[in-house]
Order: sequence, then structure tokens, then C-alpha cells
Amino acid sequence: MTLSGYEALFFWIFALSAIFAGLLTVMARNAVHSALFLISSLVSVAALFVIAGAEFIAGVQILVYVGGVMVLFLFVIMLVNVGAEEMGREEIFNKQKQVTASLIFCFLLVGGVLYAVSEGYRGLQAINSQKVAEQTALQAARTQRLGTGATGTSRITEDTQNLGALLYRYGSLPFEIASVLLLVAIIGSVMLARTLKQEASADDVDPETLQEEIASDPELAKLELRSE
Amino acid sequence: MLNFFIPTLAFLFQSRLVDGLSRMWESAKQPDLSKFLVVGALLFIIGVAGVLTRRNIIVIFMSIELILNAANLNFIAFSRYLQVTNPANAVAGQLFAVFVIVVAAAEAAIGLGIVIALYRNKETIWVDEIDLLKW
Repeated sequence: MTLSGYEALFFWIFALSAIFAGLLTVMARNAVHSALFLISSLVSVAALFVIAGAEFIAGVQILVYVGGVMVLFLFVIMLVNVGAEEMGREEIFNKQKQVTASLIFCFLLVGGVLYAVSEGYRGLQAINSQKVAEQTALQAARTQRLGTGATGTSRITEDTQNLGALLYRYGSLPFEIASVLLLVAIIGSVMLARTLKQEASADDVDPETLQEEIASDPELAKLELRSE
Repeated sequence: MLNFFIPTLAFLFQSRLVDGLSRMWESAKQPDLSKFLVVGALLFIIGVAGVLTRRNIIVIFMSIELILNAANLNFIAFSRYLQVTNPANAVAGQLFAVFVIVVAAAEAAIGLGIVIALYRNKETIWVDEIDLLKW
């Protein structure tokens, strides 16, 4: 797979913007700015997915990450108070020693990972260069068979159909497990985010703790009576 | 003798430098799998740096999302690479990316629920002030 022409140009544009937005996510002082930079990083990575030929995953990325997860993040940022951080009174990074140690670790990791990628890719090319030459021609022939889009210049990919077939034919058990995981996550987050009042009205508090809390908040005693 | 060697060495060094740069330019004009992997690795390491250095628990969660996204980028790049090395039209990497997105969504929901419960009890979002288990 080598990109060329405008694909290469847009690859570099979106790669650089993804990396810069990621850096700014980590370095922004205000958590809301962090979230907005993370959104732009995710959108750039979605564009990279399109360039790599995974249009469906790019759409899912935009819908689920940007439309769902990041809105949840912004809600929680608004719920917890971040005023002190914005005013510049609080240090946003850890203590100097921890930051230095972790940055040294990260630079070592950068070196190691980049070395592993370049060496591994050279090995992969040595194994596959013959196959790539053969299969590129076959791939071009497969592309020719696809139907054309409305403009007549682009082809309509069948990757989404293939992904769906793969998901339901070979990945149906993981699919079901993922749905159970999501159900558990929904119930778990509802349970975790309950207030003491909600817990008391469901009669779900340790009695001793409840007696202590009633001393400071008499409202809780009424809830306790109502549940019995 | 010296008059001959220094310009020759300079020429050789220069040509090697220019050679290396032009080779880099040539490979940058045609990005392949390794460029995708490099971008994924850099995003991953930015995420790791964020988890290790920030104090704000919400920004730490965002860095974890960045890490998961870098893993997704690698899956997609290898899926594309397998499409040109395998006879079958392989989309298994995209399948894995779907599951990674599902797990990321579940993790965000649970994690933010924990953040809200923690904020209600401790009145802080700084991770170095949440030290109940430390003695």
C-alpha cells in the first residue's frame, strides 16, 4: 500500500494535525480546551481512516467518539469545578521529578518504537515484496469490477458489506459479549453516580452510615421511613 | 595531499547528506504502512506522556482515549496492508477497530461515573490529592 499524489498530501496534513492536536490536548491548561483539541485530533484520525480505505470505521469514529464520548466528557467537565485551574493558580502537571522521569521514559519509548517499526517494516517488505507486486495487480482488477459512484470517477467500495458479513459470520460471539459489556457499563455507571439521597430512597445504605448522615441532613430520615 | 582530501571528504559528506534527504523526501512523497505506524506510535506516546504527567483526572481519561485511538490507527493500517498482500479482501482489522471503539465507549462511561462519585466524596479532581489507599 503506497499512497501517492493528493492522497499523500492529505495524509501528511491530517497526520501532522492529529499529532499537534494530541500534543495540545496534553498541554492545554483548561480542560475544555483539552477536550476540543482531542475532538480535532479524533477527526484528523478519522480522515486518516478514510485515506486508508476504512470509511465505515471513520463514520463510527465520528459518531461514537466525537458525538458520544466527547459530549459525555464535556458534560463531566462542566459538572466538576475547574475554576481554579483556569485562573492559573494550580499547577497542571505533576511534581518536577515525576515529570522529568516520565518524559525520559517517553523519549526512550519513542526511540524504541520507531526503531522497531523501521526494522520490522524492512523485514516485512523483504518477506512480502514479491506478493505485494502480484497482489497489487489483482487488487486493481478487483477495483475495476466495483460499481462507479455518481460522479463516475470514484468507485463504490464493498468494505462495509464485507465488514458486516465478517462481524455476523465469524465475530458473532464477540459481538454478543460486547453488547453485554455495554449493558454492564450502563448499569454500573448509573449505580456509581447515584447520590446519597438516591441510595437512601432505594434502601441501599449501610445503617450506621445513614444514622451519621441523618445528623447532618434530616431530610434523609423521611426517605428512610418512606422506603419501609 | 591535504588539499586533495578535504574537498573530497566534504563532497562525499555533502552528497551523502543530500542523498539521505532526497531519499527521505522520496519516501515522504509516497507514504506507506510504516508512515501510518509512525503516526500511531507518536499518538500513543503523547497519550502515555499525558497519563504520566497530568494531575487532572479528566485529562488523564482523555489521554487514554488518545492511546486507544492510536491502536485503532494501527489496526486500520494493517488491514489496508493485508488487503494488498492477501488474496482475500481482508477487513479483520476493521472488525477489531469496531470492538476497540465499543470498549472505549464503555470505559469512558464507567470512568466518568467514577469521577463524579469521587468528586462528590472528595471535592477534588487532582489525582495527587486522591490518596485514600496510601499510608
